[in-house]
Amino acid sequence: MNDFSRQSFLGPQAQKILANTRAAVVGLGGGGSHIAQQLAHIGVGEIRILDPDKIEASNLNRLVGATELDVNRKRPKVEIAKRIIAGVRPWINVPTAEKKWQEADHLLKDSHVVFGCVDGYLQRDYLDAAARRFGIPYIDIGMGIARVAPDTFAVAGQMIMTHPDGPCLRCLGFITNDRLNTEENLYGDAGINPQVVWTNGTLASLAVGAFMKLFTPWFPVSEPYTWLELDGNSQTVTPSKQPRYMPQHDRCPHHSGPDDLGDPFFALE
Amino acid sequence: MKVIFRAQAGFIKRIRADLRRPHDFAAERVGFMTMRAAASGSTLLLLPQDYHAVADADYIRDSSVGAMLGQEALRKALEIALLNKVGMVHVHMHDWPGHLWFSRTDLSEQLKFMPDFFKVRRKMPHAAVVLGPAIAAGRVWLAPDKIERITEFNFVGPRVEVFHSDASGAVDYVQ
Repeated sequence: MNDFSRQSFLGPQAQKILANTRAAVVGLGGGGSHIAQQLAHIGVGEIRILDPDKIEASNLNRLVGATELDVNRKRPKVEIAKRIIAGVRPWINVPTAEKKWQEADHLLKDSHVVFGCVDGYLQRDYLDAAARRFGIPYIDIGMGIARVAPDTFAVAGQMIMTHPDGPCLRCLGFITNDRLNTEENLYGDAGINPQVVWTNGTLASLAVGAFMKLFTPWFPVSEPYTWLELDGNSQTVTPSKQPRYMPQHDRCPHHSGPDDLGDPFFALE
Repeated sequence: MKVIFRAQAGFIKRIRADLRRPHDFAAERVGFMTMRAAASGSTLLLLPQDYHAVADADYIRDSSVGAMLGQEALRKALEIALLNKVGMVHVHMHDWPGHLWFSRTDLSEQLKFMPDFFKVRRKMPHAAVVLGPAIAAGRVWLAPDKIERITEFNFVGPRVEVFHSDASGAVDYVQ
């Protein structure tokens, strides 16, 4: 069942590279479930999945692979994702953690790439910092829907890939103190956070495309980061202009301190 | 035990450029990286941080080896480890393609000076790495007399490259 001939343009070593790759997916909701499924189809050898939540009825509009029975049984999201991956390629190793990623960071440290599919700016900021601490590229996706007129909504999203020695989410202007403060002030506000399957799917595909550019030599790459913005109304994707308006640094000033690398209190036993 | 050496590709590129500079009399150059570490189950992650070239004046004339370091070069490297909470990585280069591993002289010389780093920074691992034109190989000291091979190298840049060593620690380049 390991016929990858239709993606052989990725290079003669591509399947071996992918089979030896350890990818972590944090958050197995609308975005992460798509990513986990695509990584399985591509042939990534180890897919580590982390999510503390169980599926709810409101997730069924977008959580790829989920069924009504899963909802009835309140199945953990990691269990659903693991079942999908095993159904595509049973040989893939799928370590799971049904807990917050901060409580399972052993699954992140030696991963080759981390996908962040989490809610909120603060979690993104933390994940980006953790990935940089262990020298890992970080690929983030997220979407939002805003009412712009009484009967009009704007659907938008972003896919951002940062490299450990390139600009971070703060350097790029995606994470700002204003956004973090606004989010903190909304904490506890249990308003509905709209999410839809087709936008999640588009963003997940962009994330997997960025991953493939990282690992397989199908064309030359040199960008220090990638930030693509999705306008879900016009259904167009464009590179973000935001980083152009941000100060340029030779070295990220937010995560480049002498103690920002490795375990903070590492000591040999 | 799995030992991963994960470095930024641009950082390694700058080190290669430095090690390729000709020296007045030494046939090859040497440098030291500082290194942080992380543990994950039975995996040890080695994360190089900064690079310190060995000064031209700190080489000794010795035609029997590619490069012989004087006491001052080693003293400076020990001082860096003493003043910072870092492990030290001795690095040099074999600038030809194919099978990559240390020479017999490299292996015996390392045994003379690598354990000294534990006198100044005993709770950190210390390592020796040889860079090839595209790959790397190396070994890590977990104690003055406990040496493990580095099993995997990750060079992270716009493209991520992953190399695995064989049972001896050597790495072969496959295009």
